[in-house]
Amino acid sequence: MSFLNRKHIGLAGFIGLMGIVWACGSSDSGTDPVADPLDRKPMLEHWADNIIIPSYTNFKVKLDAMTAASDAFRANPTTTTLSDFRTAWVNAYTEWQKVEMFEVGPGDKYTIRNFFNIYPADEAGIAEYIANPTANMAVPAAYPRQGFPALDYLINGLAEADEDILVYYTTDASAAQRLAYVKRITDRMNDLLASVLGEWKGDYRETFVTKTGLDISSSTGLMVNAYALYYERFIRSGKFGIPSGALTSTGGTKHPEKVEAYYKRDISRTLAETAHQAAVNFFNGVSVLTAQEGPSFKSYLDALDAKDGSTGTALSAIIDAQFSVADAKIKTLSVDFYEQVQANNQAMLDTYAELQKAVRMLKVDMTSAMSVTITYTDNDGD
Amino acid sequence: MQTIERYISKSTSAAPLAVFRVAFGVMLLLSVIRFWSNGWIKTLYIDPKYFFPFYGFEFVKPLGAYTYALFGVCALAALFVALGLFYRAAIISLFVSFTYIELMDKSTYLNHYYFVSMVCLLLIFLPANGCFSVDAWRNKSLRATHIPRVCIDVLKVFVCIVYVYAGLAKVNSDWLLHAQPLRIWLPAHNDMPLIGPLLNYTWVAFFFSWGGCLYDLCIPFFLLKKTTRPYAYVAVIVFHVLTAALFPIGMFPYIMIVTALIFFPAEFHETIIRHLRKIFGSATSDASSVYRFSPIASKFTTGALAAFLVIQLALPLRYLLYPGEVFWTEEGYRFSWRVMLMEKAGFAEFTVKDEAGNRVVVNNKTFLTPLQEKMMATQPDMILHYAHVLEAYFAEQGFQSPRVYVDSYVALNGRLGKPMVDPATDLSKQTESFHHKSWVLPFNDDIKGF
Repeated sequence: MSFLNRKHIGLAGFIGLMGIVWACGSSDSGTDPVADPLDRKPMLEHWADNIIIPSYTNFKVKLDAMTAASDAFRANPTTTTLSDFRTAWVNAYTEWQKVEMFEVGPGDKYTIRNFFNIYPADEAGIAEYIANPTANMAVPAAYPRQGFPALDYLINGLAEADEDILVYYTTDASAAQRLAYVKRITDRMNDLLASVLGEWKGDYRETFVTKTGLDISSSTGLMVNAYALYYERFIRSGKFGIPSGALTSTGGTKHPEKVEAYYKRDISRTLAETAHQAAVNFFNGVSVLTAQEGPSFKSYLDALDAKDGSTGTALSAIIDAQFSVADAKIKTLSVDFYEQVQANNQAMLDTYAELQKAVRMLKVDMTSAMSVTITYTDNDGD
Repeated sequence: MQTIERYISKSTSAAPLAVFRVAFGVMLLLSVIRFWSNGWIKTLYIDPKYFFPFYGFEFVKPLGAYTYALFGVCALAALFVALGLFYRAAIISLFVSFTYIELMDKSTYLNHYYFVSMVCLLLIFLPANGCFSVDAWRNKSLRATHIPRVCIDVLKVFVCIVYVYAGLAKVNSDWLLHAQPLRIWLPAHNDMPLIGPLLNYTWVAFFFSWGGCLYDLCIPFFLLKKTTRPYAYVAVIVFHVLTAALFPIGMFPYIMIVTALIFFPAEFHETIIRHLRKIFGSATSDASSVYRFSPIASKFTTGALAAFLVIQLALPLRYLLYPGEVFWTEEGYRFSWRVMLMEKAGFAEFTVKDEAGNRVVVNNKTFLTPLQEKMMATQPDMILHYAHVLEAYFAEQGFQSPRVYVDSYVALNGRLGKPMVDPATDLSKQTESFHHKSWVLPFNDDIKGF
């Protein structure tokens, strides 16, 4: 056996070790306490059962109430029914802020956000659609002609005084068509939500919790990308960056008319605060049913031991701290962002800057620590 | 001098090179088919609005719908190389088309594409069609059972260079002392069957890191030695299959598994050819004949091969000419066999302004694909190229001499993110060159080693 020299034994040992590593996986070694929080399946189940589906269910309650108030208003447009409609609209719009981030699975399939909350509302487009009851509601041009922003315009923006608004629904030549358009909008919102919630309660929930990988089609991967995108484009940019001119300005002018709930005015901060809090709660895995924290981005990052190498502070704590700073900034603002932009835009820009820091952490630190991939293409390590 | 001449005049069996030619051609054909059927020609080379060319190769661009033809040429050339049909024309076409594809967009840069390009370049100079080829079947005068030994050795040496540099690149503190980036990547696969649960353990990341480094550094030498070769080849298969299972590296593992066959002795390859001949029912060539370079060709070819190897030895070391950490600046990073070394993620938000008070924060998604954006956000040369794309675009939109700034944030191997580019630098004023980019902020950390 002359060929069995020491080099052989070393090499065979190396190969054997790799074989053992391979083989060990088959034996049940998952009892290590460190391993459990890294199991993504319980996290996906918690998201689906205790956060996403209950959030949509809660939103459905408010949307149903708004639809009822809208129906009452359409049956009898008075200052009372208008006022009730508005209240129900505010409640539903606020509750919407807790589900807008879930643009994965059915939410993504139906691109529900496009039909619920693209603002500023397109006034001319809405007028055109009122006149044409068969106009296509599904095309991109129709996005700002429906959903909460269109309703905002229709119940808050047609005139200054309530009496003048009511004229549009009673004596105006196109009153009936306008009322019909309100119904078209609420019907469409109900249909879309029914589809999305129906799929979550149906087969998609199972699909969601079984795609446990971290590639681009996995549930965690989709969620990370949807979540970071939402925080960046729909909280930071939509609610703050665009109106304040932090993102765009032409010849130095800002865009206060692009705030959320522009016609209602005094709820823009409430909407932003609610959306931000919902994003923070999702990060921490706060159950919508029990308000207790469950498996989440936070617990997963902690289990990965993601931290600042120089100070030892956990990445999740750094992100939560930045969320708090941003939230505190939002709370200093006027309830009416239109007014805030006009009176003291610097406060808007300061808030934007803090949100921006959180965006970077979510898009870079969190995504990188979790090793979420963004494309299917080959990659040999950046 | 005499020993060199004696070495150059030595000949060896043509079988290993023939088998290599067939296997390599088949692998490339499969690669192109896979690429095509995944729809990547469209998503990577037709859909994007902008591309990231290599410095000095700005004229290399996708050809619109004709890009399919380019891939068609590449596939056909690979097939012809495998068959040994019109070999010289085929291998030149393969080298040119494959390299052209590789140069069209930096965002798709992969070390294994570069490896393939370089092997094609080598094969242009080698008489790989003298044995077991359609060319030799059609034209008896081409037949050669033996070829200059240097033709096999140059491939072996090149593969050794690749492995050793890949191994040296892993001799750094992130890889060996912190098990980065495997520590980040492995738990992402903890839902895999069999080995999944193990991947959560830090020791496994360390084991893979050290194992991978030792593998790269040692495997070529174990492959060279007759006594260790069979074991080494088993290790090659295990290692590359494992990496194929864990990482999205496409055909690379299989190409390396096939390439390593070049280390096996002539008899091994002659047996393969005998078996293949049986399948194709072709006759075994009778007489033994030796392919020899003409005196001029010999000088030219051996000179070219030597120059090739010298360049290959030097190129991965060029990073030493730049200040700063190569993982951070990526100056001298590519074409150096640095594979799977970094988990690098970035955020790059560009602001374009002008004197008239116009200002826009760019949504990268309107200009770049997700892959391009991801690559651009971590690589300073791509950030600069994109800044010039934006400068031109907004100048056309009516901005007067637009200035371009970037808010960048980059995380490397588990460190928290930090700005990579000086946010005060107007990138529209910067130009690409081989010089160090002074606007890249210092890394302020130390990755020891290569």
